Amino acid sequence: MTARVANRRIRLLIALFAAVFAVALLRAGWLQAVRAQALGNLATNQHRETIDVPPHRGTIYDRLGVELAVGSRATTVYANPRQIQDPRAAAMAVEQTLGLSADKVYPVLADRSRGFVYVERQADPGLAQSLQDKHIQGFGFYDEERRDYPQKRIGASVLGYAGVDNKGLAGLELELDKTLTGTQGEKTIVKDPFGRTLQVVDSKPGSDGKNVYLTLDHSIQGQVERVLAETRERWAAKSASAIVMDPRTGGILAIANDPGYDANKFSQVPQDRQRNRAVTDTYEPGSTFKIVTISGALESGIVTPSTKFTLPYEIQVADRKIHDAEPRGTQTMTTDQILSRSSNVGVVTIAQELGETGINDWIHRFGFGRPTGIDYPGESKGIVLPPEKWSGSTIGNVPIGQGIAVTPVQMIAAYGAIANRGVMIEPHLVDRIGNGEAPEPVRRRVVTTKTADEVRHMLREVVEEGSGTAAQVPGYRIAGKTGTAAKPDGAGGYSTSAYVASFVGFVPAKHPRLVILVAVDEPRGAIWGGVVAAPAFAEIANFALQYLEIPPD
Amino acid sequence: MAALLAGIVALNVAALRLNMRVEQLDNQRDELVTKRENIQSQLSATAAAGRIEELATKTLHLGAPASTTYLELKHRGP
Repeated sequence: MTARVANRRIRLLIALFAAVFAVALLRAGWLQAVRAQALGNLATNQHRETIDVPPHRGTIYDRLGVELAVGSRATTVYANPRQIQDPRAAAMAVEQTLGLSADKVYPVLADRSRGFVYVERQADPGLAQSLQDKHIQGFGFYDEERRDYPQKRIGASVLGYAGVDNKGLAGLELELDKTLTGTQGEKTIVKDPFGRTLQVVDSKPGSDGKNVYLTLDHSIQGQVERVLAETRERWAAKSASAIVMDPRTGGILAIANDPGYDANKFSQVPQDRQRNRAVTDTYEPGSTFKIVTISGALESGIVTPSTKFTLPYEIQVADRKIHDAEPRGTQTMTTDQILSRSSNVGVVTIAQELGETGINDWIHRFGFGRPTGIDYPGESKGIVLPPEKWSGSTIGNVPIGQGIAVTPVQMIAAYGAIANRGVMIEPHLVDRIGNGEAPEPVRRRVVTTKTADEVRHMLREVVEEGSGTAAQVPGYRIAGKTGTAAKPDGAGGYSTSAYVASFVGFVPAKHPRLVILVAVDEPRGAIWGGVVAAPAFAEIANFALQYLEIPPD
Repeated sequence: MAALLAGIVALNVAALRLNMRVEQLDNQRDELVTKRENIQSQLSATAAAGRIEELATKTLHLGAPASTTYLELKHRGP
């Protein structure tokens, strides 16, 4: 080979290298200058990710700090069926790890028309981890918070529930949703090709939800639920409700309904059973309402406890005949005997002296016809006829608790006012939020101390020698009133077989610490409040008095 | 110059490792918080009065406690 040929080949090689270098330079220029922005964005999208940091939902505690509703971490398992190569094997793996039926999971995983399907929401984190450890392509996992109700049935209808998205859907979970939820945070991370976080480049902290402390006491609540279940079973009743309240503060210690349910299984419970009927449902109170008429008459100066009335067994009011529960001859009764013997004729006679306007005023002063303001969603205001809609016979039934519908919580608030020497305190379930101070409850005077004391004395006689003797608790003086009310039959009249038996009272009578209401819907075998509801009152009171170490008066 | 470049690279690598460690610790903290919450939930469920009462009556066959009797003692003068 000559030197000339060799030089030519070297020049050709140099030219070739120069051409390749020029192409590479142009390409680099193109990528650096023209495509720089687009490629930069692509790289950022691949390396950076903004992820939500969900807030922790606040815990609900009872008054002693026992958890009633807590958040626990769960893992949600999802899948992209288009990425799953062997749906049958994947379904078998799901069955082995999560315990779900492979027959049910397979069609979901085999459906390639969808790019995202849930395999299980809020699965057990340990089980989900065992599926994750199998490294099956197409499955994805993320953490979620699951709401647990460790006390199960206790307080379920009060607490309500939070759904799978951790949003309050009923009860206190709904009422306090904003407080419990907190705000979501987010952080932007840079990750390596394996998805591991290299750096957190931006972080917006959220805030966890606040903890809530209730006035409920889980032990009293559990006991009340047990007593209600036994009472309902014994009398084959449709349902039963009870409330225990501290009259000095308006704090509700227990509020229960039977039949109840396990709050962890709320989705399996019929909507009808989930209601807190003590707040949302109304009933005709019957004789327990008579304290409104008597208090109004005493306060207005129309009667005194010793004012005497000559009362026949039956009186005519417009087109309606009003009579007492038990046949008797004409008798002379004092005002306090009228209440302790629960004389319908006596109460209506006093009501006629008070007049329609007077009765209506007292109904509203005791808070009937409007919500009590309890911190619970869906409170009913009850049904109170406006005076312009009263007929001639209304004065013969409303004063004795017929033709008027109230909620158990309205009724216990009214008795709370008598127990609290005439001052009504708004019933409430939330004691405090977070570490804050407990807010001062709303108070208002309904009757004078003198009137409240007089009514309280009359209510003591009901339990000592009247219709409420079954409510007695050894060692304690009880004040209370029985109620037996026929239910409306839906045709403008009253049923002759369906009744609500109730008892409301407070203990110790001299310095009341507890107001307790028990209402039993449609008991069978016996219908009387003094027979059906009063023993349940006594059992609840007996437990609560010992538990709270309340000495006898 | 080469030493400076090597130093900068080493510094970046160290920062990256520290960041990864911080993230790992964050994850560990989240896991511990999760475990604590789950244990707290289990503890509450285990200590629930209803459950204890059920165990006491069904397993140990215990009955309800008798009611408290109060004795009123009146002070007599000397």
